[in-house]
Amino acid sequence: MGLLEARELSRTYRLGNEEVPALSGASLVLAPGELAVLAGPSGSGKTTLLNLLGLLDRPTAGTLLFEGRETAQLSESERARLRRERIGFIFQSHQLIPVLSAEENVAFALWLRKMPEETCRARARRMLELVGLAGLEGRRPDALSGGQRQRVAVARALAGEPALILADEPTASLDSDTATKLLDLFEEVHRLASVTILFSSHDPRIIERAHRQVDLRDGKIISDRRVASS
Amino acid sequence: MTAHWWRLAFRNLGRHGRRTLLTGSIVVVGFVATTMTAGFVAQTFIALKEATIKGLGGHLRLFNREAAGKTDDEAAQLLLENWEGVGDVVRKDPRVAMVMPRLSFFGLVVRGEKSAAYLGTGSIPELEKKASLAAETVIAGEFMKNPEADELMLGSGIARALDAQVGDLVTVMTTTADGTLNAVDATIVAILQYPIKELDDRLLIMPYGAAAHLLKAEGKCTSLVLTLKSADETDAAASDLAKGLSEAGIPAAVKTWFESASFYRQVRLLYLTIFSFMGAVLAIVVILAVANTMTMSVFERTREIGVMLALGMERSSVRNLFLLEGLLLGTIGSAIGAVLSLLLRSALNVSGIELPPPPGGTHGTTLYVLFIPGAYVIGFVLMTSTLLVASWWPARRAANLDPVGALTHV
Repeated sequence: MGLLEARELSRTYRLGNEEVPALSGASLVLAPGELAVLAGPSGSGKTTLLNLLGLLDRPTAGTLLFEGRETAQLSESERARLRRERIGFIFQSHQLIPVLSAEENVAFALWLRKMPEETCRARARRMLELVGLAGLEGRRPDALSGGQRQRVAVARALAGEPALILADEPTASLDSDTATKLLDLFEEVHRLASVTILFSSHDPRIIERAHRQVDLRDGKIISDRRVASS
Repeated sequence: MTAHWWRLAFRNLGRHGRRTLLTGSIVVVGFVATTMTAGFVAQTFIALKEATIKGLGGHLRLFNREAAGKTDDEAAQLLLENWEGVGDVVRKDPRVAMVMPRLSFFGLVVRGEKSAAYLGTGSIPELEKKASLAAETVIAGEFMKNPEADELMLGSGIARALDAQVGDLVTVMTTTADGTLNAVDATIVAILQYPIKELDDRLLIMPYGAAAHLLKAEGKCTSLVLTLKSADETDAAASDLAKGLSEAGIPAAVKTWFESASFYRQVRLLYLTIFSFMGAVLAIVVILAVANTMTMSVFERTREIGVMLALGMERSSVRNLFLLEGLLLGTIGSAIGAVLSLLLRSALNVSGIELPPPPGGTHGTTLYVLFIPGAYVIGFVLMTSTLLVASWWPARRAANLDPVGALTHV
């Protein structure tokens, strides 16, 4: 059984009186432990598909199974529970909460699970240490570099021990050196935690490290292949 | 809501310090306005109540049962017989401190070629001096002393109309209980400045003996005024006395000061209406200001709300976070408002500011703001609930955001 199974997913947006298809008939099965990338140019439907797979959006047509469970029937609350317990998100720009420290930003994902404060804090510190930010726990996002912020975002995604991490263009706002270090971290996390990671990116550095590449063009999956990572 | 949500809400308030300060100031002003107004109004009501009770001469009034609902002319004919006997009955109630007969009459008072209509009261000088407002309003002469002497006291308004002064002799004319015209010459012993102008222009007080003689009503009275040891016992005492008098076969009705004081009730209603209206305006101002701040906050934090929703935060929790911010602002604003209220109250109470006369009054009072703990509790509840109401729609809007749209919000 796949962790995630998308069957003929479509998503159409309404622009005035016009219906604009963003994704058409996308089918995809993600197995546990995969390191995959949705590749394609801007406007190819990568983020749309990622939003659907992350239960942030509902498809106009098609079926999505998460851990074998049909998601169309899930209530808003059940979808929210799946997101906080089974999925970790990393966004294009870090998207940290500015009034919280690095440690609190990571703990935030655990607060949502109503875990005891001390457990949240301890696990947040452990995650920050894992991403190489030990000693910076008390800093707020505006006192961190772009790379450090993205590492905090990775720690936040990992904190809830999810089955799936969805990362939307995680290197887009980083310089080359920082991006490389971040990708090293992703590989390390994937190796240590055996978590499924799905990127959405047209960054060749990400594509060359992925074990599987799903190419999209004009809202359609045009190829889905396993690649030998470097 | 656990500590971290409170912490997050508190920090979010500090995010836009100047805006929060402005909104918080509105809450503080609202709280101060509520408590200060309540303190001032309560003090006004207490002063008015005391003045009313003193004006009526006591807490309860006994009168001939048949006079109830009659016109003044008709009631004047229906006197309470044997007031001393009735007095003996009511004095048995331990709550009664003083019993005073009063004769009410009206007619013309003449001095030389000038005359004026008066509203007269015949009362026992010693008791009247103790129980009523009249003794405090003497501006010339001395309060009447002799219960039988042909002397009187006039309000300053009517004295002016007669061009009369202390020591002048005037003729008091009236209709007796049996309908015949009678008159007496009496010496003015005092001029009073009564706080209710309409009454001051008509006021005439003379000793009970002289009035009873003038009205041919010896042993009778229009009303028997009772002063109680405590005003709080007014209603209970009225009810018990009415029952006791009925059982004793005395045809007397009992009225409380509140039932008799239509002026007090009207002023109270007027003040309450004015201040309720002001309170409603204040609440609307606070709601609009806070709703504006919260709406801006939701707009500016749209992406952040999208992230929270994406991370699995329940929509109800997003809503509660914004409500919590409103609640915190209301609580902090109220706390600062409470301190400011206490300081301002102390300053105003020592300032000695003179206020203009109340409706119908002839002289003003010194400003005094009473401390009413209940007003502070009401102020807190009012401000926090107003803030919650004001935060509700922006909070709901935040909770209903589409996470995908919110994440791409610019």
